[in-house]
Amino acid sequence: MDLGLRGKKAIVTGATKGIGRAIVDLLAAEGCDVALCARSEDEVEAAVREVKAAGVEVVGGAVNVRNADEYKAWLEKAAEELGGCDIFVPNVSAGGGMDSEKNWWKNFEIDVLHTVRGCETLMPQLEKSGHGSIVIISSTNALETFYVPMAYNAMKAALITYAKQLSQFVGKRNVRVNSVCPGPIYFEGGAWEMIKSTNAKMYEATLRAMPNGRFGGPDEVARVVAFLASPAASIVSGANVVADNGFTKRVQY
Amino acid sequence: MATDPEDLDREALLERSRAPAFKPVKRVAPEQSPETPAEKAPDPDLGHDLIRKERYTSPEFMRLEWDRIWTKVWLLGGLESDIPEPGDYICTEIGKESVLIVRQKDGGVRAFYNVCLHRGNRLRPAGISSADSFKCQYHHWEYDLDGSFLRIPDLDTFPQGAPPCRGLSEIPCDTWGSFVWFSLNPGVEPLREFLDPMPQHLDPYNFHRMALTRDVTVEWDCNWKTSVDAFNESYHVQGIHPQLLYYLHDLDIQIDCYERHNRYLIPFGTVSPRVRKPPTIPDPIKVIMKGAGIDPADYDEPLAQIRRDVQKHKRRHGAGQGKDYSRLNDDQLTDDYHYLIFPNVTLNVHADDLMLFRQRPHPTDPNRMLYDVWTFELVPDGEEPPRRPRHQTFRHGDKSIGLVLDQDAQNLPGVQAGMNSDAFKGLWIGSQELRIRHFHKVIDDYVYGPGKKPPGAT
Repeated sequence: MDLGLRGKKAIVTGATKGIGRAIVDLLAAEGCDVALCARSEDEVEAAVREVKAAGVEVVGGAVNVRNADEYKAWLEKAAEELGGCDIFVPNVSAGGGMDSEKNWWKNFEIDVLHTVRGCETLMPQLEKSGHGSIVIISSTNALETFYVPMAYNAMKAALITYAKQLSQFVGKRNVRVNSVCPGPIYFEGGAWEMIKSTNAKMYEATLRAMPNGRFGGPDEVARVVAFLASPAASIVSGANVVADNGFTKRVQY
Repeated sequence: MATDPEDLDREALLERSRAPAFKPVKRVAPEQSPETPAEKAPDPDLGHDLIRKERYTSPEFMRLEWDRIWTKVWLLGGLESDIPEPGDYICTEIGKESVLIVRQKDGGVRAFYNVCLHRGNRLRPAGISSADSFKCQYHHWEYDLDGSFLRIPDLDTFPQGAPPCRGLSEIPCDTWGSFVWFSLNPGVEPLREFLDPMPQHLDPYNFHRMALTRDVTVEWDCNWKTSVDAFNESYHVQGIHPQLLYYLHDLDIQIDCYERHNRYLIPFGTVSPRVRKPPTIPDPIKVIMKGAGIDPADYDEPLAQIRRDVQKHKRRHGAGQGKDYSRLNDDQLTDDYHYLIFPNVTLNVHADDLMLFRQRPHPTDPNRMLYDVWTFELVPDGEEPPRRPRHQTFRHGDKSIGLVLDQDAQNLPGVQAGMNSDAFKGLWIGSQELRIRHFHKVIDDYVYGPGKKPPGAT
């Protein structure tokens, strides 16, 4: 099946490692020109260099998405350098934590507002595309209770609602909006690699909840995202796709 | 059988086994340390010999240790704060001996063998208590707080009179660092001389302002040195404490060996080069930040900057929190300044707390020991110290003593059992374990004479 991604322009935030990076790698392999950002300049430079090996145009930026002006300016510049934007994947997250009320502000500003600001900033470009597609990265933490009542879980839930509403709102402009809920994903340098050492009990319990006895990988999530982002998924909009290896136990009607 | 050493490709082994490279952690310069010396002591040349295993397993070596170490050195007896009033006493045990450390009417402390001169009965069980006098429960021979005979019932029925001595057998006793020390050696050097240079290193922490928060003794199935060794190197962190790789730098360790004591300085609040940089601040480092008053959720700087920022924050806000850090250098505000006071006191020293282990030999069995854990917390000015916890004794495995120490404890009986195997000749020690080599060199100095090696060693 040809996904129709060749020549498309994609912007992915938080993409030097993990799920974001896997999405960029796959989109580049499918022939997309890509723009990626993250906070560390060194890591962005390294990622740009590596992704360029796919033979596509790659734009990188060291950006703190919490800083609205800096972030919006970068998005506009990235779209300009790519010559447009057909695909937007807001992927940055502040991660979990229950240290203080500040966690709520942080997850609100980083997980929610960075997504909203990105969608609004890039909407003119996505509209112009004719095949505009947004894939918002949520989490299974939004779907079922997960250990502790973290801001992360509630803010990831907000993203699913936002994605659905946005899909209705921008449908007439030929922009599709979907969300993806990855379950626990293991990768080198990821949260679960650390949890395996720092909280072995939680790691083991999570692993036991996987019916196939293994964590999911970033590349597996990336394939779901790439499909939803592609013109091949032209009929899918407003969907929330759970990519969790069977981790969640609810029935999804 | 794979017995031919030539069958092993040693170069290939080295290539797949190298320690990871790392950028050195920033440390305070020696002149930035007000009191505790921060400079690296020159590494002693202690060779690369095997440390032979018999010293951990043989009753003969255990006897040599008793004769030439335990009865010769100063030993940690307890806390001064446990005996504030005249008559307060600590009854502590070392090997086959039991000792009474008693607060005197003049405010001083004296120590005595806990043995009645009549028939040898122990006067008091081990523990902390208070007495007006020490009366033997057998025939009621009674001794004053200063050890002298107070009353001997029916003394007139002893034709030979009272024993010719003044009373209980007294032994050297002194105080330092909020602790009381004793020695079974009547001719022992002054305590300060024995401890040198530890008081200079440790006085700035003001241990007397720290309150005891845990007092536990665990019976471990290993030699006391197996335990000392376990805390004298950071090489085992990657082996049995994987969670600590997200808490401390286990490779950039400054090791300093002094005459008989030694230390290493472990940077805390940073991530080991053995693991990849994690996406969020590791939970154990969050604990350090919160302790300093930094909200991890409000912290936006790179992981590598946390250690310095915690130091700066504590320096700035310590006084406001009732914590006087003025005598400590910046690294002491985060790092583990980890000392071994020869022969058996391990101290994990931090600005806000102290975790002390006293490792005592079993009276008769080289394969067993008593592991005392005393933890202390700095009491901020103006705050009430917490109540002293009750002393608890249990066998290894009956209760948890916390994840990290459980990991150490679980490991040690296996080490001891393996050392008893005919297949094991001795310890193969690397440079990360220099403190172990130094500790055993000091043991050799005591057991075989200064600078001498065990008989038969090359």
